[in-house]
Amino acid sequence: MNKKLWNWRLWAGFGASLLALLVYILLLQTTRSIFWGSLALFAVSAVLLISGLKRASAQPQVYRGKVAGPILTVLGVVALGVFGWGVYLAAKYFPAALHAPQVGQKAPEFVTVDSHGNSVALAQLLSTSMTNSSGAARTPKGVLLVFYRGYW
Amino acid sequence: MAISADSPEESRDLIRKAGLSYPLLSDGKAEAIRHYDLLCPGAGVDGRDIGGTAEFLLDPSGTVRWRSLNEANAEKFVEAAKTLN
Repeated sequence: MNKKLWNWRLWAGFGASLLALLVYILLLQTTRSIFWGSLALFAVSAVLLISGLKRASAQPQVYRGKVAGPILTVLGVVALGVFGWGVYLAAKYFPAALHAPQVGQKAPEFVTVDSHGNSVALAQLLSTSMTNSSGAARTPKGVLLVFYRGYW
Repeated sequence: MAISADSPEESRDLIRKAGLSYPLLSDGKAEAIRHYDLLCPGAGVDGRDIGGTAEFLLDPSGTVRWRSLNEANAEKFVEAAKTLN
C-alpha cells in the first residue's frame, strides 16, 4: 500500500485561521484596520481548508485527512467565531471616534453639571482664573478634558 | 477635569472615595460624549450609554493641542502639557 501524501492544505488553513486571530488580538491596540488583515487571513484559511477537504474526500487513497480535515475545519470556524466576538467587543467598548476633534481643531462647546449640581460650560472652564501655588490668581494655560467610562 | 455619564451623586461618591481635587462633570445624557464622538452605547455596567476613554489637552482658546484615545498615559500628557507655554 502506498504511503499517503500529507494533506498540507488542511494544516496550513488551520494555521492561517489561528494566525488571523492572533494577529487581531495582538495588533488591535496599534491599529483598528488590522481587522481587514485578519479577515484576509481568514479568507486564505477558508480557501486552503476547502481545498484540503476536497482532496481528502475525493482521493482518500492518495491524501490523508479524512478525519483530521473536518476537525481542523471546525476549529478554524471556532477561531472565526472568536474573532467575530472580539470585533463586536472592540466596537462596543473602544469607540473609533472618527469625528472626535483632532489636534489643531476647536474642541466642541458643551454644558454639563458638576458634582454639586452647578451648570458648567467649557468656555467657563477655559477662562476661569484659579489661584496658583504662589497664591496669585491666573487664568489656566490649558485644560485637560478627560473622558472616562464611569465609576463602578 | 474629568467627564463621564455618571450622575452628580455618583461623581461625589467617587471624589470622596478617591480624594480627587479636580472637577468631575456629569454628562448624564451623553450629549458632550456624542459631540466628541466617543459614545459606547449600552457599554455601561448597568447598560447605560457611556463615553470611551479619551483625553484632550486644550489651550485657553479651546483648540486641541494633544489628544489620546482609548488609553490613559500620564507621562505622555505631562510631556504635552509642557509644550503649552
